[in-house]
Amino acid sequence: MISNRSSGGLSLMAVAAAVSLAACGSSASGSEATGDSSSAPAVPASLTVWVMGDSGANLEAAVEPFVQDTGIEVDVEAIPWDNVNDRLTTAVASGEGPDITQIGLSQLASFLDAGVLEDLSGELADHPNLDPANFPSAVSAENLNPDGGMYSVPWVSDTRVLFYRSDILDEAGISAPPSTWDELRADATTLAARGDGQYGYYIPQWDAPLPVAYTWQTGTDLIAADGSIDVDTDGFRAAVDHYLGFYQDGSVPTAGDFDQTTGFISGTAPMLVSGPYLANAIKEQAPELDGKWDVTTVPADVTSTSLFAGSNLGVWKGTENLDAALQLLDFLTEPATQVAWYQSYGELPAVTAAFDDPALADDPLVAVYAAQLQDSKPLPVSTAWAEANQAILDTLNAIALTGADEDQALAHPRATLAPQTAR
Amino acid sequence: MTANGGAATAAPGGTAVAAARGVRAATPARRRRLGGWRAALAPYGFVAPALLLLAAFGLLPILVAAGVSLTDLDIGGLGHPETIRFIGLGNYQRLFADPDFWHALGTTAFFVVIGVPTIIVVSLAVAVALNMSRSRFFRALRAFYFLPAITAIVAISLIWGYLYNSQFGLLNQLLAQVGVGPVGWLSEPTTARLSVALVAVWRATGLNIIIFLAALQSVPREYLEAAALDGAGRWTTFWRVTFPLLRFALFFVTVTTLIGWLQFFDEPYVLTKGGPVGATTSVSLFIFKNGFSLNQFGYASAGSIVLFVIIAAVTAVQLRMRRSDDA
Repeated sequence: MISNRSSGGLSLMAVAAAVSLAACGSSASGSEATGDSSSAPAVPASLTVWVMGDSGANLEAAVEPFVQDTGIEVDVEAIPWDNVNDRLTTAVASGEGPDITQIGLSQLASFLDAGVLEDLSGELADHPNLDPANFPSAVSAENLNPDGGMYSVPWVSDTRVLFYRSDILDEAGISAPPSTWDELRADATTLAARGDGQYGYYIPQWDAPLPVAYTWQTGTDLIAADGSIDVDTDGFRAAVDHYLGFYQDGSVPTAGDFDQTTGFISGTAPMLVSGPYLANAIKEQAPELDGKWDVTTVPADVTSTSLFAGSNLGVWKGTENLDAALQLLDFLTEPATQVAWYQSYGELPAVTAAFDDPALADDPLVAVYAAQLQDSKPLPVSTAWAEANQAILDTLNAIALTGADEDQALAHPRATLAPQTAR
Repeated sequence: MTANGGAATAAPGGTAVAAARGVRAATPARRRRLGGWRAALAPYGFVAPALLLLAAFGLLPILVAAGVSLTDLDIGGLGHPETIRFIGLGNYQRLFADPDFWHALGTTAFFVVIGVPTIIVVSLAVAVALNMSRSRFFRALRAFYFLPAITAIVAISLIWGYLYNSQFGLLNQLLAQVGVGPVGWLSEPTTARLSVALVAVWRATGLNIIIFLAALQSVPREYLEAAALDGAGRWTTFWRVTFPLLRFALFFVTVTTLIGWLQFFDEPYVLTKGGPVGATTSVSLFIFKNGFSLNQFGYASAGSIVLFVIIAAVTAVQLRMRRSDDA
């Protein structure tokens, strides 16, 4: 409560600080521009790298061979996912950024808007590992850079697959995991009938990309050809019905604080759509479940399209260590480094060739992830989209949880989103 | 020799006295003159540090936010100030047309109406009870009630999050023991509002209890004795003697609590992130989301200026009421 009393003031202050820093930032970048940044440093460079989440120590270990080879120091700074936006804002305002930064695909639009990334399209000849041909077409340079150029390169990939408890499905007389929307709903209802507090499926209420993936699965896109956000399609309507259907069937938990890992391990939610991190959590927390669960590609309506998530790497605009930064990028996108990263931290490679390595090719889970990645799309790279996506999710949850009238509730995003453009 | 000497010594002595007298005659005047501008400036000198701090960290940010609220500043504008456009009152128009803002305003009003009276009544009641005795046990109780006020909000959110959890939370386990079905403490919109408000009340009472306790202990014993002699009972003594003497403490607690709840932020932020379906999104959280998640600094500034005006107006009304109360 004590800090409550100042939080309103704080938000005012933070904005003020950001603005006054912006003034400093502009002068700082101005002086940088006049200095000659292309001159090679006499001493071996030192690179500052921002990594997101808790992978800082792993990255330090991963770049050790690079440091040995080149003599370039690498200073890794780990930034919690929740603080990424704050750090970006501060860095933009102060003009003090790292040399290289990891960028979650969902945050790429903010980084591009802020104009803090270096265009790398001219560097491909000297650094063949950065060539877009090495990466899946879903994260092609055209897809991720709506205004042209190539401001980042893929680093790790991530997708959503269907997790299911084979033991519980067997017991309920379901011999194979659902592969279509209809099967998924029917199986979820069957499984929810196991008893009170038992569910068949789980919808994370914070998962904004989920209704988007459902729309893709109907073969429809949410972005029209002219770049406008289009939620007035049969495909979107079908996706909404699919999403809300689970709530109508009573086959998903309505509690927003439902924990998917606990729910899957205890069996209360024996089917759910999640990423490879859930597999790691299950292996760690419940090794005794080994053999009682599996993954498969997401159930299809027309297609079996899932979300392409993951992270890219970008070089900070105006860095004094451009050459060293590009060398490190080249090293990190080498297939061998990508395999080593998967082995140390469990994140899937972005480089297609890395999936051929026995360490990945022999893992049945990775085979499913790889198959799903073939049919995955990233969210539109646009800050307007991020807001629109949240509005869509909020509307769906309002209908599902408060019984708001479907047509009335959907009219609101339809009216406000129609004039918006996601490009 | 002696006389001469005496005169000789007398003369300088005399001049010394005269000089001293002259000085003494001059000094008060000079002091008065000096004191004139010194006395006039001294108070400013004393308040200058506070005034400068207030200007730098209180006034300036408000002015900057007011300025920003008239622009379309976003993260792109932060990197390239030349692209920032002045859009007049556009942000305010958008704000007043935004159903989410009105919803947040309504949510804040709900929290104020529930939270402020609860905190005042509960803290006063606990303070009166604690004032009954000064034994070791009561002193321990006093520390116990103050604990929530000094506990870090992150720890509070973790503990209460576990208590409230609908899957494995302690509260639902206890309810199940007595045969009551699971309650969606943080997942059912109206319940979630009350759950979040409960944590905030629990957290805020500690400090207010101490304030009331200090006021209670400063009530002169003579008044209470006089009331007892007049045959007043405990209830009458409290309402007729003690309570009126708590007026200033009551005013202070009301003003600070009201401002705190108008800016309600911490508890919903850490417990529900404003959910479920926006049920616990206060105005502060609305501003935070727009400013720091969506990077719409101009729009968020407009929201914070509106919140500032509301708080200033409410506080001004209270101050006025207090003034008429004094007269």
